[in-house]
Amino acid sequence: MAQPFPYTYYACDCYDSNGTSSTKRASQLLREAEEDERTFDPRSPRANYSLYPLEHLLYCEDCQQVRCPRCIIEETLNWYCPSCLFEVPSSVVKSDGNRCTRSCFSCPLCTSPMQTFSLDTTGESAPPFILECQYCRWSTLEIGIEFEKGQGIAAQLARLGNGGKHIPTNKERDKERERRKEIEGRKARDVLSPSTESTNTDADRDDEPPSHDDLFSNLTAFYKSQVDAQTPSNPFSSHDINFSSPSAYSRIMNLYSTTGSKKNKRSKPSAMREAASSLEGLTLHDPANEAAAIERIKKEGWGVTLSPAQKHAQINPNVRFVDQLRPLATLLCTKRSKRCRSCRQILTKPESKMTSTRYKIKLLALNHIPRLSIRALNATPPIPVASRPADSFDYNALKPGMPSHFLLHLSNPLFDPIKVTLATPSTTPGRVQSRVTILCPQFDVGANTDIWDDALSSSLSPMRRGSQLPDQAPQIEAGKIWDRGRNWTSVAVEIVPGFTDAVGSDGQNELEEDEDVLEIPIFVRIEYETDAGADERGLGDSRGSKGEQEKREEAFWTVVGVGRIKG
Amino acid sequence: MSRPVAKKAAAKGEYIETDSGNKVSRRSAITGTANITLGGRTVIMADVVLRGDLHSTRPTASSSGKEGTPTSISIGKCTVVSTGTVLKPPCRMSRGAPNFYPMKIGDNVFIGPNCVISAIAISSHVHIGANVTIHPFAVIKENVKILPNTVVPSAMVIAPGSVVGGRPARIVGEVGEGWGVSGGGAGGGLGVGGGGEEKWVEGGDLRELVRSIR
Ligand SMILES: [Zn+2]
Ligand SMILES: [Zn+2]
Ligand SMILES: [Zn+2]
Ligand SMILES: [Zn+2]
Repeated sequence: MAQPFPYTYYACDCYDSNGTSSTKRASQLLREAEEDERTFDPRSPRANYSLYPLEHLLYCEDCQQVRCPRCIIEETLNWYCPSCLFEVPSSVVKSDGNRCTRSCFSCPLCTSPMQTFSLDTTGESAPPFILECQYCRWSTLEIGIEFEKGQGIAAQLARLGNGGKHIPTNKERDKERERRKEIEGRKARDVLSPSTESTNTDADRDDEPPSHDDLFSNLTAFYKSQVDAQTPSNPFSSHDINFSSPSAYSRIMNLYSTTGSKKNKRSKPSAMREAASSLEGLTLHDPANEAAAIERIKKEGWGVTLSPAQKHAQINPNVRFVDQLRPLATLLCTKRSKRCRSCRQILTKPESKMTSTRYKIKLLALNHIPRLSIRALNATPPIPVASRPADSFDYNALKPGMPSHFLLHLSNPLFDPIKVTLATPSTTPGRVQSRVTILCPQFDVGANTDIWDDALSSSLSPMRRGSQLPDQAPQIEAGKIWDRGRNWTSVAVEIVPGFTDAVGSDGQNELEEDEDVLEIPIFVRIEYETDAGADERGLGDSRGSKGEQEKREEAFWTVVGVGRIKG
Repeated sequence: MSRPVAKKAAAKGEYIETDSGNKVSRRSAITGTANITLGGRTVIMADVVLRGDLHSTRPTASSSGKEGTPTSISIGKCTVVSTGTVLKPPCRMSRGAPNFYPMKIGDNVFIGPNCVISAIAISSHVHIGANVTIHPFAVIKENVKILPNTVVPSAMVIAPGSVVGGRPARIVGEVGEGWGVSGGGAGGGLGVGGGGEEKWVEGGDLRELVRSIR
């Protein structure tokens, strides 16, 4: 698991509701949780889709609910290349696809960015140029491609096939297709009187089987012709419509009259057919190809083949061998705004300018629900100071059966004080059962008042215990909080990590991956009173006028990853 | 446990504090001090190596020394460079001689322990995990998170708001919209907020973290 211990994930309600528009209130949720004795199981396969770090969650103020990536909808604001950071207009995305056309390439072997280098050794950058990956040293030399200019690599690469072969442009392809069609037509006519001369010259050109790109262009051309044949005079095709012209007018009228025109007599449209030859884009299976590939693998081994990831990254799906690789143009990324899926309220909207990382609208869950975190009681504050390694508590080696104390820290982002109730199953779900006791499951947390109040009081605060005064033995008492500050409270938790070897008792001895991770589901319920109109005016105003007070509650599951049990 | 030991180290004065509030460990190895700028309230921890001596040797320096000393490493405000990390300006061969390019690091950047950094630019609010290697001329934009043990290949540009990991680094996700927002002050840091003194989160304002380092 990439996330270092300890961590906290928050579960969004939508994990067990069918509709995303669930507006279950907290009390209801709590009741359900109690009645069903249903605790959130972080190991259930579904949990994977509902647990998020707090900074990934949004909050819909209209629904008064947390919104996770599953219960929002996204709208693309713009497209950009993550490598050159240029914005790509959506029209270009439509015509040129979702890859950068500005000479941003990544290595087909290892995905690192590729750079342009000159092969010239005299010191000045002169042709020829190549693209090279500085990470694995793969370069376009391995596929026989060199560039004449150091600029406009994308355009040059589009014309250069592997081994330096010329790749025809679309126009050239169209011409070639026409030429071949003509030849085929002629061949059909020449069956009676074959002229050896013409077939010879054609045969030279026909050696090479059509490439993937050729076939694709043939197929698109074929489909286009099929569609055109179906609607011979589409009155709505944008390029030839002209309402002032009488011909266009008559065409539109023809569309409405069932009889009259010759074309409309064919009331039953002839069925569209599929491509029937390679000139129409049909991919013909060539057994010789397969045999050659097998021969090659026999001779050169697996080393010349591609890994599935490398193969999938290629645009041509038929690529098999390393010498068929092409540098990959960088995939574009998007900037997106997000809306609540049930009420369509905009939750986040970034500034569309590429250079800006600011947001016009950003409704975050962390401004509405408390932040929960855990740490070992005897651990020093988590300042990442490796010079004091002896101090740091090893979260990756929790001792089974040894009761140890942790601190659960809750901080309140709201401008009103909150009442908190925590609940947790006494033993963690799963086969490795750890015992968990929250020593003070009900407590208050102060309001998130002005930051300056805290700055003034923190230096005078006499309430620090334990961590600041190591001489004084920490007092852990059931029903009493451990420590508190302006808008935070911490309580002690006693955890007895379960025995990993006890797993063997139910027949299966193998400990599955991450089964030794100690994760505690904690149900958090908060209650508070707030100025009823505060939301409309913005949170900052809530303290100004003491208007109508409204009772609110919020409840959610969290999963606290304490560490890994090592017995 | 061995808490008293840490106290003793602190009593000796682990850090030299400058007028602008920079905290530089006495046990760090800094060469070419004149070529290094620290923006204020920035922390350089023990065993950090800053290669300020690797500065550009282009005409500016060679023509006359009066033009001022070239900068080789500039670090912004409230940035933390953790123990054992090496910052070495990127180098490129030009006309047969190595030439170094100045490295620029923004504000509120956290660089984890035992990293080797040769990036050309790291923007603000970037969080770099432990044991990360950044190859020469990489560009790390704002609000990026680099997972521990990542190797960022040379000249890679990491777009704002990305999470990258792996060897070589790939984009594995996006930081959430709440990246760097501590939400009412006290927060997690590395997922933890114990006695209320850790009022910082990854990618957020590191002032409180800097204050807590003594
Ligand atoms: Zn959800
Ligand atoms: Zn690009
Ligand atoms: Zn590579
Ligand atoms: Zn909503």
